[in-house]
Amino acid sequence: MKIQTDTDFIEQLIERTGGRPQRILEILHGIQGHFGYLPKEALEKVCLLTEISASQLWGVATFYDEFRLKPAGRHLIKVCVGTACHVKGGQRVFEAFCRYLDIPDGGDTDPRGMFTVQKAACLGCCMLAPAVQIDKIIYGQLTAQKVPEVLRDFLDQQKPAEATEEKLMVACGTGELRVCLDSSCQAAGSAKVYAALKEAVHRAGASAAVKSVGCPGMSYAAPIVDVALGDGRLYRYGRVRPEEAGEIVLRHFRPVGMLGRLRNGWGMFLERLLEDRIGKPPVRFAAGVHDSAIDDYLAGQKHIATEHWGDMDPLNIEEYIAHGGFEGFLKCVKEKTPMQVIGEIERSGLRGRGGGGYPSHLKWAAVAKADAQQKYVVCNGDEGDPGAFMDRMLMESYPFRVLEGMITAARCVGASRGYLYIRAEYPLAVERMAKAIEICRRHGYLGENIFGSGFSFDLEICRGAGAFVCGEETALLASIEGRRGMPRLRPPYPAQQGLWGFPTLVNNVETFAVVPWIIRSGAKAFSSLGTAGSKGTKVFALAGKIVNGGLVEVPMGATIRQIVEGLGGGIAGGKKFKAVQIGGPSGGCVPAHLADTPIDYESLHQAGAIMGSGGLVVLDEDDCMVDIARYFLEFTQTQSCGRCTFCRVGTKRLLEMLEGLCRGENVDIERMESLAEQIRAGSLCGLGRTAANPVLSTLRHFRDEYTAHQQGKCPAKRCRSLIHFSITDKCIGCTICAQRCPAGAIEPRPYQRHEINQIKCVRCGTCRSVCPAEAVEVE
Amino acid sequence: MSRDVSTVRLTIDRKAVEVPAGTMILQAARRLGIFIPTMCCGEGFEPSTSCMVCVVEAAGFKHLLPACGALAQDGMEIFTDTAVVIKARRAAIELLLSEHAGDCLGPCQTGCPAGMDIPLMIEQIAEGRPDLAIATVKRDIALPAVLGRICPAPCEKVCRRAGCDGAVSICLLKRFAADADLNLENPYLPVCRGSAGKKVAIVGAGPAGLSAAYYLARDGVRCAVFDKSQRPGGALRTGPGREILPDEVLDSEIEQIFRIGPRFRGGVEIGRDILFDRLCEEFDAVFVASGGTDVNDISSFGLEMGQRGVCVEPRTYHTERAGVFAGGRSIGRANLSVRAAADGKEAAVSIVQYLSGLPITGPVERFNSRLGQVSEDEMRCFLAGASSAGRIKPVNQSGGYLYEQAQKEAQRCLHCECLKAESCLLRQQAQTNQARQRSYKGQRKAFIRQNHPAGVVFEPGKCILCGLCIQQAQRQGEGLCFAHRGYEAKVSVPFEKELREGRISFTAECVDVCPTGALAIKKKKT
Repeated sequence: MKIQTDTDFIEQLIERTGGRPQRILEILHGIQGHFGYLPKEALEKVCLLTEISASQLWGVATFYDEFRLKPAGRHLIKVCVGTACHVKGGQRVFEAFCRYLDIPDGGDTDPRGMFTVQKAACLGCCMLAPAVQIDKIIYGQLTAQKVPEVLRDFLDQQKPAEATEEKLMVACGTGELRVCLDSSCQAAGSAKVYAALKEAVHRAGASAAVKSVGCPGMSYAAPIVDVALGDGRLYRYGRVRPEEAGEIVLRHFRPVGMLGRLRNGWGMFLERLLEDRIGKPPVRFAAGVHDSAIDDYLAGQKHIATEHWGDMDPLNIEEYIAHGGFEGFLKCVKEKTPMQVIGEIERSGLRGRGGGGYPSHLKWAAVAKADAQQKYVVCNGDEGDPGAFMDRMLMESYPFRVLEGMITAARCVGASRGYLYIRAEYPLAVERMAKAIEICRRHGYLGENIFGSGFSFDLEICRGAGAFVCGEETALLASIEGRRGMPRLRPPYPAQQGLWGFPTLVNNVETFAVVPWIIRSGAKAFSSLGTAGSKGTKVFALAGKIVNGGLVEVPMGATIRQIVEGLGGGIAGGKKFKAVQIGGPSGGCVPAHLADTPIDYESLHQAGAIMGSGGLVVLDEDDCMVDIARYFLEFTQTQSCGRCTFCRVGTKRLLEMLEGLCRGENVDIERMESLAEQIRAGSLCGLGRTAANPVLSTLRHFRDEYTAHQQGKCPAKRCRSLIHFSITDKCIGCTICAQRCPAGAIEPRPYQRHEINQIKCVRCGTCRSVCPAEAVEVE
Repeated sequence: MSRDVSTVRLTIDRKAVEVPAGTMILQAARRLGIFIPTMCCGEGFEPSTSCMVCVVEAAGFKHLLPACGALAQDGMEIFTDTAVVIKARRAAIELLLSEHAGDCLGPCQTGCPAGMDIPLMIEQIAEGRPDLAIATVKRDIALPAVLGRICPAPCEKVCRRAGCDGAVSICLLKRFAADADLNLENPYLPVCRGSAGKKVAIVGAGPAGLSAAYYLARDGVRCAVFDKSQRPGGALRTGPGREILPDEVLDSEIEQIFRIGPRFRGGVEIGRDILFDRLCEEFDAVFVASGGTDVNDISSFGLEMGQRGVCVEPRTYHTERAGVFAGGRSIGRANLSVRAAADGKEAAVSIVQYLSGLPITGPVERFNSRLGQVSEDEMRCFLAGASSAGRIKPVNQSGGYLYEQAQKEAQRCLHCECLKAESCLLRQQAQTNQARQRSYKGQRKAFIRQNHPAGVVFEPGKCILCGLCIQQAQRQGEGLCFAHRGYEAKVSVPFEKELREGRISFTAECVDVCPTGALAIKKKKT
């Protein structure tokens, strides 16, 4: 048997990781990486070889979503059902995969064992929604109809162009071509563009460097290629296709004489391209020439956590230093005492960016003052909110900045060890942070006696394994210690008793990422931004029914309208703006009529939402608020750790009520509201206490939609049990709907009016979207 | 301040207390004699903070705090009995009940008007101890040989096995226990309480009156049973045919009742021979159980009459006249003799309360979790522990079971009842907090019953995930753990191994710490 011959592998693995309980997640990741799942024999072997007990190992292995206990197919399809993907039909894409692959009910793998289909909480590619990840390749903007095509494409290129992370020569002389290779840009095809550009540069013999850079944030236009010429001119191309790479290179890196001759030709090429393109035409941005779309997008932003975005190589430490990197940290080491730095943080007004908004200096001071032989700094990179991807981009694009923040904090609180907990769904962030840590060690920013200061600090990465609750700090610490990620009651706070009982500073990625800027630019510069109670900037992940999705960093106090209508360019497809969902599963929906609410901790709270970690999903008239509430509750319900009654059972009962409403059942809304309040008041940790927020906030602003559902009507025509599709007299008998119907509910009858078999119909809406005559109605 | 920094001061329900730092609110409250209920918290164990029954309100806190795991902090103002706390406590219990997969009592017992502990009787018969079975029966039914012949057996209609291969023949088993007893030289007599010097008149010697007399006598009350007939029995003597209920059986069973004290005064008609008011003067209390046949006679008693009979407070059987109680067909309840007998027993409870000067509440209505409909898998689980034989037909000439037959039939019982019905904290909390099981409707857990070594029975559907057994098992070096997460979380043996491959995981000590019937030991009741 394969597993028995592979026990060598387990031995080697344990040799590498060590056998302490703290290494459980790493060991389990290793086993799953090797076998594709966790064979019980392998787990038993681990127990034999290490000091980890069977109870411990089994408890942890079954706690996290990432680990499979049954063999999987050869390829893993993760269909994102994050918020943005949900509102854009992720569930239908998931069902389409299951149908197309003939996956049996209750199973997740096709009969041939080729593909395993799973739902992913959020792939963090919200502006490409609905997104799917097959092994390492991400496909974006899917529909149910595109499923066969995607699978064909995947199988066609079993050897996909791997993202090359090799370090490139910084442009010398004539210029450089910058491509972002972040996960979401890769999903839009940037890796292929990157490869094509290198190839083109090589063929043309041009003296240009092709460089991977941090994300410019404008994901809606990805893949983006920036051409920076030696003389300072910058050209930006959006939605670039690999086959266009040659033209871009030739345009900018040819002898001047030839370029002149080609000018007219280039114009013709672009025209031709516009005609060829199905869907949106390619957008070309030139930074020198002001383009209205990009103006809107960048205006009003203030880049602190995302400083120098789009023009720094994420893993080039010289470049980071050249842009002021580690200046702040060196100031801390050479000029200031830890308490002075903490005072600086206090004056800056920085509050935790992970959602709670707790004043950062209080945490820092508490750990600094604690008298203990060991202290820890932990960075919470378990960004689990569906619809949020700020921390992923920060870690992928600005790894040194996050590290500088951590090192600075460690210096201030007197910690010598650190952990960076990164969620499992972010492999690129793990990879880049690991490389950045290695580079920092080489340059003396990590290790013993840093810059002769007598201060020593080193840190390691801890990969999560798919448990949203681990974003809660006490659960996160339990997870790092190798236990089930169960939150516990505070106090004692981690600052008093954290990792292994020692004082521990836990901050979120973005919080650490703004620290270097604050120290470098001064507290005043930071506190001059924002509102009375909320200082500085906040990074938001803008997604949903919006024209320009992506990452934005705005000063606190910017209004929702400024973000949605200004930066985001308004609602896509001419639909009506209905609400924004802020703060993910712990947050709430702010309706369109409150769009002038400034974004700060207090105002959002008053509007029934929370700042949260920064997910901002825009909803339009087609979105059903009951369905949104149900969606979030389903998420939190499956993510509950299961410890306390209110969260474990309460969210289940609440979800059942919402599901009933979505089926048009006459659910007692007052009773539902009262249960939601009980869950809020009685749950043990932040997850449970905020779990009902999406329900309570939609009840507050959209109660009429709830009463409509009670009476069996879904005003947004979204809840499947309450709608049905029919074909009107407008039908021209083209049979397209019948060909595309995934459920075989329409019989092709050329030149006759078609009919939908309501029993077979799965209400996916495909017929409606493909009908050229607008003959499909939904009731 | 000169105060020791290692202590904290707080108030609980406005009473001040000083406790060492690190004390939980629950323990701080105990010092003040304030009892905060809890289920998941075991003495000497890490607080699980899971059941949330111990939640309290704290001034300045937006959320409720679980007293078992929340540290008492300086300056806290804790409240343990506000409306918010009581509501939350009930909600926590009702949420736990909404997923609870188990019956406190067997459906037969819940279905029996007299509430007889049928599963216990059956088990005693199965174990060959009809002598114990009759004591169980007579705790709730004074005339089992009679009812064993004429009862339409509502218990069998709700027997979980009824929908499968026929209900357990509960009624015949009861008859078997009673007949076996009557055939003894000295049939069973209950232990009676000493006389309290009070006397009660009972009007009517039918099933209700006789039953009341038996239970009053057992509780040390002297009774006189009046009946216009010369022989006791009332409707039992006139109703069923003799071939069904022979006189010898009726006489001999009634004789057992009068053996423990009550006096029978036959041929006396109240209202004619003795005036009702006089009866009320002479006796400390009166129980009217004169059946439904002589409504006209009752009307002369001067009691308030409704359409169907004498008006009583339904739970206590008390009429509007102090000290006068009524039951059976005279209050117009259903025609079942077993119902009438139950009325007599329950009225006896009220009468004793009245005589002792206690508030008259009638018998305490206990909380009962009900499993309801079961799936095929669950049915298989139930059947696994019982004899697979079909219903045994009696071959005895008179229609009763022989000893072996009774034993065989008794082995068919699925034993739906909870082994910890009397000690379960969830049931107790549900009772004290007046929780309703179906307050939150939704999918309950699956009923599963696993038999472990040393008689340990594990029923995960009743688990409230407190994890005390896991902590206990860890102390003993045995392996148990929580597996999975959220609503799917459960107590598990590592790798979900078959138990016989693994070590013994659930120990007797684990059973002891389990607050519910999820872990129990199947003890011989003999």
